[in-house]
Amino acid sequence: MATTGDNIPISAPRAAVTAALDLSRPGAALETKTVGQVTVANPVVSARNVNVYYGEKHAIHDVSLDIGRNAVIALIGPSGCGKSTFLRCINRMNDTIDSARITGTITLDGTDIYDKREDVVQLRAQVGMVFQKPNPFPKSIYENIAYGPRIHGLVANRADLDEVVQTSLQKAGLWEEVKDRLDHSGTSLSGGQQQRLCIARAIAVDPEVILMDEPCSALDPIATARIEDLIDELRQNYTIVIVTHNMQQAARVSQRTAYFHLGDLIEVGPTDQIFTNPGHKLTEDYITGRFG
Amino acid sequence: MEGHIVRTFDGDILNLRMQVLQMGGLAIDQVQRAVQALTRGDDDGARDVISRNSQVVAYARAIEEDIVGLIARRQPVASDLKAVLTVGRVATDLERVGNAARKICKLALELDRGRDGAPLQRFYSDVRKMSRLALAMLRDALDCFDRVDLEGALKVVHRDAEVDSEFQLALRELVTYVMEDQRHLGSTIQTVFVLKALERVGDHARNIAAVVPKFARRDVAAAESAVMAAPKRSESGANTAG
Repeated sequence: MATTGDNIPISAPRAAVTAALDLSRPGAALETKTVGQVTVANPVVSARNVNVYYGEKHAIHDVSLDIGRNAVIALIGPSGCGKSTFLRCINRMNDTIDSARITGTITLDGTDIYDKREDVVQLRAQVGMVFQKPNPFPKSIYENIAYGPRIHGLVANRADLDEVVQTSLQKAGLWEEVKDRLDHSGTSLSGGQQQRLCIARAIAVDPEVILMDEPCSALDPIATARIEDLIDELRQNYTIVIVTHNMQQAARVSQRTAYFHLGDLIEVGPTDQIFTNPGHKLTEDYITGRFG
Repeated sequence: MEGHIVRTFDGDILNLRMQVLQMGGLAIDQVQRAVQALTRGDDDGARDVISRNSQVVAYARAIEEDIVGLIARRQPVASDLKAVLTVGRVATDLERVGNAARKICKLALELDRGRDGAPLQRFYSDVRKMSRLALAMLRDALDCFDRVDLEGALKVVHRDAEVDSEFQLALRELVTYVMEDQRHLGSTIQTVFVLKALERVGDHARNIAAVVPKFARRDVAAAESAVMAAPKRSESGANTAG
């Protein structure tokens, strides 16, 4: 369980922790024991007291966390800590699991994404997702990108669609490599190229947020470096939430890092601070490789 | 410190610390021998110390290489990273202690050739006293480093003022001495350099003690603040100068 109170480490910025827990502040309906500042100014996604249950299993305990605009936040923690479950709450991917039950609120630009009137298809266009293993459609490179804009009615004609395909592939840093073979199958590309194709596919429907669930774990170091470079470029226009088991990757690509442990959000803070002066012993033990 | 999941990482850090302690033992011995060579007029002893300084330098380079290797292989973060970098700082301080011993020996060899008569013997008791104080500080600093003794480290840091005070006292005596007989100006300046070298050994001991908290885990970070907040040499020396 995340702890503060008497267990706040001496080195932790106690004032910041207190501020994060200050329930008297307007709009700060927080009941979190997380170390660090869970709120940010003008968040794109705001989660409050989120609990996730898979049947009887309580997978996430009362997690509150804001996700800031045009920045990368890394979710780290040991296997089974709830980081991927939390990620999947942000575009309601957990809805596909029958036994999953979610309480609390998650808003996207102030709108409750779990409101019954919310269109899940539209939500998933606004909150794109890239998975651990590249999963291009068994179609041409062009069609992989064109599919989303076409079904969401984002383009009026073929010329517009061509432009969206080209722009998306350019943003994903793939255009120069595939511009002469757009009709080739997406699955014919290398692993790294397939992952960038999936990122281009997510970008094509003009999302606000891109969720990445261990996007480089199946890639070699060169392909990983290209994806990391791409993530840094993409954050100029998108908000990125990345789940990674690679702590060096979290340190390299993110501006904020959140550490999960056994379903609790233990600590969140600027990445530099988390990797130099973590405020919670569990965070320190995990990032230094002492966690048993 | 609690162990890492990767046990060889613990071994790497332990090995680094052992090297620093061995280097510390060598540096202490060098200063002791340098002071002995000076006060006994033992030119061969002084030359031995100068020659043996290469061993201190070799330790420093080996530790530096091991630190680079450890960072490249293990990519330490947070308290581990600070601990590894701190070992490098301690090694640098010890290398400078070695330099101080070499400097004392070089001055000893020059003093014996003094044409205007060496006033140094008059100040041997000051040299011995400062050397005792500074080396005791250095031994205790390394002991605290070894045991991660934060309380002891804080005491060592405070003891630097004692060495500074001895230096200022000796300096005043030397000024009086040279005012009485200006023929001794050259050798008096050399004597000041010897005393200053010993005073610097105290400073390096203080530096080593001051970084001990870097080896402690976060939950004792308050102790680090206390050690770091202790009066610095220049502050404590300012009032007694002149």
